[in-house]
Formats: sequence, C-alpha cells, structure tokens
Amino acid sequence: MAKVKKHKRVTVFDIVNVTVMVLVGLIMLLPILNLVAKAFSSEGNVIAGNVLFWPVEFQTGTIQYVLMTPEFSTSFFVTVTVTIFGTLGAMLLTVMAAYPLSKPHLKGRKFFLYIFVFIMLFSAGMVPNYILFRTLHLTNTIFALIFSGMLSSFNLFLIKNYFETLPEVIEEAARIDGASNMRVFFSVVLPMSLPVLATVTLYYAVGYWSNYFAGVMYITDASLKPLQQYMFDLVTQATSLQDTTGNFSDVSQAMNVSGENIRAATIVVSTIPILCVYPFLQKYFVKGITIGSVKG
Amino acid sequence: MKKKGGTLKYLRQNYDLYLLLVPALVYVLIFHLLPMFGILIAFKDYNMFQVPGNPFLSILESPWAGFKYFEQVFKRPEFLQAFANTLIISVYKIIFTFPLPIIFAVFLNEVRSTKFQKGLQLIVYLPHFLSWVVIYGIFVSFLGSTGVINSIITGMGLEPVSFLMDSTKFRGILVISDAWKEIGWSSIIYFAAIAGLDQECFEAADVDGATRMQKIWYITVPSLLPTIVLMLIIRIGNIMNAGFDQIFVFYNPTVYDVADIIGTYVYRMGLGKLEFSTGTAVGLFNSVISMILVLSSNFIARKATGKGIW
Repeated sequence: MAKVKKHKRVTVFDIVNVTVMVLVGLIMLLPILNLVAKAFSSEGNVIAGNVLFWPVEFQTGTIQYVLMTPEFSTSFFVTVTVTIFGTLGAMLLTVMAAYPLSKPHLKGRKFFLYIFVFIMLFSAGMVPNYILFRTLHLTNTIFALIFSGMLSSFNLFLIKNYFETLPEVIEEAARIDGASNMRVFFSVVLPMSLPVLATVTLYYAVGYWSNYFAGVMYITDASLKPLQQYMFDLVTQATSLQDTTGNFSDVSQAMNVSGENIRAATIVVSTIPILCVYPFLQKYFVKGITIGSVKG
Repeated sequence: MKKKGGTLKYLRQNYDLYLLLVPALVYVLIFHLLPMFGILIAFKDYNMFQVPGNPFLSILESPWAGFKYFEQVFKRPEFLQAFANTLIISVYKIIFTFPLPIIFAVFLNEVRSTKFQKGLQLIVYLPHFLSWVVIYGIFVSFLGSTGVINSIITGMGLEPVSFLMDSTKFRGILVISDAWKEIGWSSIIYFAAIAGLDQECFEAADVDGATRMQKIWYITVPSLLPTIVLMLIIRIGNIMNAGFDQIFVFYNPTVYDVADIIGTYVYRMGLGKLEFSTGTAVGLFNSVISMILVLSSNFIARKATGKGIW
C-alpha cells in the first residue's frame, strides 16, 4: 500500500502537515474522551461542567448503576439476540443468492439482478412497510427487528462481484471430478471467499447493532426495545423532550439534567462491544470498500 | 431461440442454483415487493380497520380518493418547507463535507511515517461505526449547557449558547456532525486511488525539482479527478437523502423550520399523526424523485467516467 520513500530532510511542509493531522486526530478523539470522562466522573462535577477530557473524582459507580438497570440489560440482550440471528439470516440470504448471480450462464440472471437493483433504488415508504408489519403481526415482536434490513443489495453485489473474480478453472476442476453445483459452492467457492464473507458479516452486524429506527417504527413494548432505541429515548427525552412516538412532554427536562453522567455511562457501555471488534472491523471494512463497491 | 430440450436440460443440471436464490427472492417478495401494493394507500381514503384485523386487505376495501392527498399536501407550507430543507441540507453537506475527505487523504498520504498514517486512520474511521444515537449523545455532551464548549464560552464571560435548539445554528451542527462521523470513512476510496498511482511520475517530478505542493497539485489531484467526479455525481444523485437517521435523532420542535426533511415529515404525519394516506403520498413522491435522480446520476457517471454504482 504505502509507497517506499527515500529518507529526506524534514521540511516546513512536514511540520505543518503533521501538526494539522494531529489536530484532526484530536478533533475526532476529544469529544469521545469527554463523554468517557463524564461516565467516570462524580455527578456533581459533571453538572458543574468541570469535566473535560479526564475523569474528575474518578468513580465507577455510574457504570455499575447502568449495568444493573433492568431496562438496560433487557435492551442489551434484545440487541445481542437481534444482531446474532439477524446477521446469520442475512448472511444466509445474501451469500446463497450471490453465488448463482455470479454465474454468467445463469438463465434469467439479468432479471434477478434488476430485482435487486430495483429494491435498492425504490422503497414503498414508511407507511406501507408499517402496515405490512402490522398485518403480519410482526410489530412488537423481535422478528420485526430481525427482518428489517435483512437483505442489502449493496452487500449482495459486493459478494457477487467477489465470486466473479475467483478463477473459473478451480471450479471446473472440481466439476470434472464429479462435484455438483452445491458441492462446488460449499467446498470450493466459500473457503476461497473468507475475506469478503468476514467483511459483509461485519457490515450486517454493525448495521443491526446500530439500528435504532426499526425499534422506533415497530416496537413500543419496553421489554423488546433494542439498545439503540433505549438510548434514543434516554438521550432525546433529556434534551428535546421528544419520545419515539414523536410526542413531546415537558416534565422530563428538569428531572433528567442530573442524569447526564448516566447517559454518558450508558453510551460508553453500549459502545464497548463495537470497540472490542473495531480493530478487525477496520481491517475488513477497508478491504470491503475497495473490493467491489464501485463497479467498472 | 434455443430448443426447448436444451432449456430443460439446463434447468435439470442447474436447478440447485435457482434453489439458492429462493430464500432471498422470498424475502424480497414479502418485505420489498408486497409493500409496493401499500402505495395504493396514497390514492385511497384509507381506514386501517375497514377489514377488521387485516390492515393490508383494508387497503383494497377503502374508497378511492384519487389525487386528493397529493393536492392537499402539496399546498401545506410545512411540506414545502420540508422539501426545501431536504435540498438545502443536502447542498450544504455536499459543499462543506464533500471536499474534506479528499483533502484529508491527499495530505495524510504526504505524512512520511506509515505508522502515523495507520494510527490516524484507526482514529478517524472510528466514528463511522458509532450509531447516530451515540454520536448525538457525544455532541450533546460536548455542546450541551454543561458541555465543554459552553464551559469555555461562559468562562470567557459570555452567555451560554444552545447549539441544538437554535435554528440559526442547527444546520451547521448537522453538517459538522456529519463531517465528523464520515470524513475518515469517505477518505478510504481516495486513499485507495492514491495508493494505485504510478510512482514514476513522482520520481520524474523529483528530478525536475518539483516542490511537495507542486507534486500534489499537478500529479496527485489530477489523477484523483476521475474518482472525485464519480463520487460527486453519485453524491448529487443522492440529494434527496439529507441524512434521515441523523436528523431524526438530532432535531426537535424548536428547529423544525430549518431541520424538518421529507423523511421526518413522513414519519410525523404518517406514523405520528396517523395520517396514513398523506404519509404514503409524500413517501411515494420522495421515492419516485430519488429513484429518477439516482438513475440519472448513474447514467451520467457511466457516460463521464465509464463507471457506475451497478
């Protein structure tokens, strides 16, 4: 990736450039550090606005409080469940469909491809989707969260494009040995595609983890709210007095100001799983975006 | 036209390929194509309980309303405002945030230490993986009444600023938070393009005694131009997408005048106030315009750069 550079003198350009880049890094980091610091600072200092980028009167009580809040653990569990089963289901749908679509000889291939392009371009809209979910009795069930966004055409094309780059000769060799299409798919194609599979798995998983709007649309039962929706209620009720139904109440503001460190702690705890997988995420995501996002 | 026997033989040999497609097609049929039928709601006086217990069949049974709901909503000032806001916020985002990832990629590439490059990339990609709810939490913590920025402002003896409740600042906050979240992520494609550049040009320029800025301006930027043009066309094609997920979390009634976009308007009308027909009508209007724009931009991109989104 990086080009080999000859050792040269450090110039003014280098100094200015590195300084600006360090500033960019700080702009990205400081707001996050500020939130983390608030999560670990004592409540009084948070309200007084004394907390900058390092905890003042360090304590872990707020984090413990969040972890023991029943609503938090319930919604955390909902999100973990949805992320696991949603990602599994999504990968099955996507990978299975991508293989036949990568075969130029497939009859009707164009037609199927157009269907997947079409759903990427045109959506019936919020109301028809909501009415459908109501009719199927999916609202206020965990399936509403799992089925929302279970197939992304973008991811489908990513995998399909990757399959198309695999050398046809290897598949042919397996076929000559008498392997069926399925056999070739599972024993030859999939093992050669682990990088793109990892990438797309992570795309889906992060998508499910971060999705708050499916909850807002389809879930009103508190025991089924995903983590992001729980936080949405927590954060927006405190600041704009809005709840997920778009209604506004003006009682919560005064009450919630003191909850600022709780909000900070909730956000920090909810983000830890993302941070744990982030190093892998970064590696594969970058790969994914350069593999096949733009097609020639 | 091939012989029928050939097709049958083909299907017998490859039926399993079609079986692999079935789950995805069933999903698309239920969750993407079936709702298309619900578009009829826009043209009907929809009553969800027309057929008890079946909101979907109720669509068929509800009386026709023609274009009544379109005519009504196109006259509403809130709708026109939301339409205008969608375009304004999108244009702001294009003007202010589109160039940043390019500049960032070009200059980070000039940093000599690869370790520094990798480390900074690790930091700037991070916000992309955080949900908008989390980003909002971070911004409230930073910009709120007890936030760092206001501590500095009051420290200087000035009045605290309520950034998120002020119509004059709200669009700025949307643009800044969007830039903060996506600048790193959007720069990846430019990094990849720079990494693929031919090194000989740079070596030749070295021999000719070109400065760093000259090399950037006369070699790096021109060779990035096709990528930039492609990304810009795609971005403009998505102009109807002003960032629903972001605005839905960030906005509040005090800033509706500047922040309400079509998506949020549809949500509040269609699902908040249960004006299903109005919500569907506006949603349909939005979907049709978006599709036309994306299709045109893809067409233009193919003409201009030979590449497209699909």
